[in-house]
Amino acid sequence: MKKRLLFILFSCFHFEIAAFELNGLIQANIAATDSLTNWQENGTGILRYDQDRAHLQHTFLDVTKELPSSFTLHTVLNAYQDGNQQLGFSQAELIYKPLSADTIKWQGRAGFFYPKLSLENVDTGWLSPYTYTQSAINSWIGEEQRTAGIEVTAYSPGRVRKSPWSWQIRFATFAGNDSLGALISWRGFAMHDRQSLYGDRVELAPYPSVINREGLWHPNWIEPFREIDDRLGVYVGAHLDYYTQTKFRYYYYDNLADPNALNQQRLYAWRTRYHSFAFQHRLSKQTRLISQYMTGSTEMGDNFVFVDYDAFYLMLSHRMNQHRVSLRYDRFIVHEDDTIPEDNNESNGYGITLAWRYNFTKQWQLGLEHHINRNTAVNRESLNIAQEQHQQQSLFVVQMKF
Amino acid sequence: MKILFVLLILFCHTSNAVSFKVSISTPQNTTLPNVVVYLIPNKAVNNPISEISIMDQVNQQFKPHILPIQTNTLVHFPNSDSIKHHVYSFSKAKKFELPLYKGSETDPLLFDKPGLIELGCNVHDWMLGYILVVDTPHFAQTNAEGVVEFDLPADKYKVKVWHPRIQDNPSHLEKAVTLKEDTHLQFKLMSELLPSHEEYEDNDEFSDYEF
Repeated sequence: MKKRLLFILFSCFHFEIAAFELNGLIQANIAATDSLTNWQENGTGILRYDQDRAHLQHTFLDVTKELPSSFTLHTVLNAYQDGNQQLGFSQAELIYKPLSADTIKWQGRAGFFYPKLSLENVDTGWLSPYTYTQSAINSWIGEEQRTAGIEVTAYSPGRVRKSPWSWQIRFATFAGNDSLGALISWRGFAMHDRQSLYGDRVELAPYPSVINREGLWHPNWIEPFREIDDRLGVYVGAHLDYYTQTKFRYYYYDNLADPNALNQQRLYAWRTRYHSFAFQHRLSKQTRLISQYMTGSTEMGDNFVFVDYDAFYLMLSHRMNQHRVSLRYDRFIVHEDDTIPEDNNESNGYGITLAWRYNFTKQWQLGLEHHINRNTAVNRESLNIAQEQHQQQSLFVVQMKF
Repeated sequence: MKILFVLLILFCHTSNAVSFKVSISTPQNTTLPNVVVYLIPNKAVNNPISEISIMDQVNQQFKPHILPIQTNTLVHFPNSDSIKHHVYSFSKAKKFELPLYKGSETDPLLFDKPGLIELGCNVHDWMLGYILVVDTPHFAQTNAEGVVEFDLPADKYKVKVWHPRIQDNPSHLEKAVTLKEDTHLQFKLMSELLPSHEEYEDNDEFSDYEF
């Protein structure tokens, strides 16, 4: 009897272990960077680091738990050294993917997750396996956007239909994300890999036109996932793949926010919409080309802030055995057209990032990256900082995956 | 005397064995490897449950892509990848689903009905594999030259061929043969092959796999 009980207990324990999938990552760096204070420290610099020293770049635990009836729970718990909130979830989603014999299938997910618009952030924990400093577009997505809602997907895997083409149509509706657009309007695009966590707050420089009572009278921080206007947003995405060789993704996003809505913290809802086009083509087994273009606009108040923004990157990545070299060019422009000239939100810039990453075991990776950018933000003048800045940053990174 | 009798039977049996060679060529006279060729004898052959075959998951693909087995064979589904798979089949001959967690083992499944089983993975939608369960111990797959050879007892057989790319009329893919001596049978396919779609086997290491 005892043996039987032990067997049952062991079986249950084994099932629990088997049904969990745990993946984790620790990434630490030594940075050599310029000293322009970054936005997280209330400066106007667009790079994550402003001191030559060691940093904990990423630490996270990715947990997947199978549940009955085709449900899966997936969470990513992150710990950061920098930023406002240093421990929390960057993703927490319940996924429903039923088995189906049909050629057109469907799946859904609910929770707090990234829209799958990036072909750059394809590693565990929404990291990029290519460069450490991410593109301007996906730096922004990581810091200010998440879907707190539900997403439904119709999809058709090409191999099931004996076709080279696979497709997906994704539709989501979500709450929160009302302040989306504030960061790129006031600070401009930045280039980094710090992802905001659920409940996080992102700091900004104390631009007088933003914080003064005579101006917009807004805090010099935003809470990216805060619900302000009680309106739901929507997005629709279309994926088209040719075998595993070529991928194309289009997303139209509109948070449908009421730009005149304001909460007690004096955080506004920003009406933000964009089109995003992402493309990847594998030129060979070793080499791939990845690109993304985003164009959109955001409005806050009664045209108090209105900007059009465009951002683009083109990346070439090549793998030689356990070595990978990636080179990316970024361009980003924010152009204002609003009623308050004192709050000038013109900014633009470009960046070049070159990274080498070497997997010296399955768990351990070393990397070197050098990034340069030239960026201009007119509102720096209000803080007695030169509008145009040339920033650069070198990183030596050690990564362990488990 | 008994030993002599056994030796006589063995000798007779050996002398009755014939070599049977099957070649398969496409309408363009190209070769097609991995075609399953199987011979069904006149008398049914009972196969006790004993064999274990393997259908592995390697680099997010089924390995082998086509697995022929005899009825009543157990198939083990290991997971050589460091990520989860969720293998399933909706085929009449065997409906099942099998979650394969990283680093865990599952019991082998019994395939006790003849027929074609199409395998998919509910995590990696591009994965496709086949298990063909045949009611005979005489089966094999063509080599790179499109040829397969059998050594088997002289008898009457029904020869059948199958491959997912072959779309000929089924009646053209089945031939009755009486094997009395070494024989070479040639199958010339009439219809164009379906596209291989082998590009799906070119796995992207960063596939951003969907749940």
